Amino acid sequence: MIQVFAFYLFATIVVASAAMVIFARNPVHSVLWLILAFFNAAGLMVLLSAEFVAMLLVIVYVGAVAVLFLFVVMMLDIDFAQLRAGFVSYFPLGGAIAMVLLVELILGIGAWQAGSLNLAQRTAPLPEATPNIEAIGQLLYTRYIFLFEAAGLILLVAMIGAIVLTHRARGGTRPQNIDKQNRRRPEEAVRNVNQPVGQGVDLGGVEL
Amino acid sequence: MIGLAHYLVVSAILFVLGVLGIFINRKNVIVILMAIELILLAVNINLVAFSAFLGDLVGQVFSMFVLTVAAGEAAIGLAILVIYFRARGTIAVDDVNRMKG
Amino acid sequence: MVDLSQYLPILLFLAVALGLSSAFVFLPMLVGRLTGSHKPDPEKLSEYECGFPAFEDPRSQFDVRFYLVAILFIIFDLEAAFLFPWSVSLGEIGWAGWTTMMIFIFELVLGLIYAWKKGALDWE
Repeated sequence: MIQVFAFYLFATIVVASAAMVIFARNPVHSVLWLILAFFNAAGLMVLLSAEFVAMLLVIVYVGAVAVLFLFVVMMLDIDFAQLRAGFVSYFPLGGAIAMVLLVELILGIGAWQAGSLNLAQRTAPLPEATPNIEAIGQLLYTRYIFLFEAAGLILLVAMIGAIVLTHRARGGTRPQNIDKQNRRRPEEAVRNVNQPVGQGVDLGGVEL
Repeated sequence: MIGLAHYLVVSAILFVLGVLGIFINRKNVIVILMAIELILLAVNINLVAFSAFLGDLVGQVFSMFVLTVAAGEAAIGLAILVIYFRARGTIAVDDVNRMKG
Repeated sequence: MVDLSQYLPILLFLAVALGLSSAFVFLPMLVGRLTGSHKPDPEKLSEYECGFPAFEDPRSQFDVRFYLVAILFIIFDLEAAFLFPWSVSLGEIGWAGWTTMMIFIFELVLGLIYAWKKGALDWE
């Protein structure tokens, strides 16, 4: 009973906040609705007993991707009212296409019959005893090694690409140069001398 | 009781909302990128629902890969957006075709 | 379907946290209303000396360098997310799994070295 209630709660909120993401006037509000949608999608995945994917959704999407969107929305000084100018004129076409797509999808789901599932043909049967995260680890790092390394390469490309695109060297930074600091000798340093009055200054080897 | 079809309908609605968001916010690239995130979220819900109801773990592993690709896509997409804004002072995608070279 | 009763402690925790935090917010307001005179005027409501104005346009400008730091945060966040299932299943996956993760980390260390050499991590 409580599962049915929780499903309808999460599903309603995720759909409503997804609608608000695309209809909100202010992009900052869009990002905040997107965060709400991700939280409730994580709730749906907890109901499906995919705990690790749910937590990953919270950590990666809410913690990182949404923050990145928020940064960009705040970084760029944009007249958003002007960007919404075509909103009304695009709406009939977009709405028609979306309705057709939705009707097709729901008709497809309704007409879909799985037939008799051959459960013996499953690639990786869900183990009963091991926890979700441990089962994922046992699958991910044995059978899907190459896909995993490819994911690492995608991350590497994303990182280098972002640096190449947005980074520009600027003057005025003073990074710490550890090598230069270590090569410094006491002779080159400034000394603090208590100079007696009327004796002149010893410049250390400089002939006057 | 909640079955597989319930989850599929939720993810279908999310997918359609994402597509609609791309259509009606044609000028605002930031919201288009958010709509793409919604579409990928719908795909993830689909993968995890099938994984749970078929008792097969592969769906969850692949939803992790989808998550990785989505993060990389958001990073690169927003980086392109930032340099485009720097060069032109606007993010209206009507005249992106001038970004040659 | 998952047995939702195991999430009851988390729900209780959230309820207690919500109760405590709202008590910390609203209790001083209530006590202030009851014990002092509540007569706000523009001088009282203005920021004290060097405080920030509390209500202004939320879209203040950020520097692009924050964006690069956020990107690097996303990448290493995902790396850490991949480390969790690896660490709990290390007993079963053996040396092959260990080597896989070391190659993965090496790929990302290459990116880190690149960022370092390009000066993307430099601050003023």
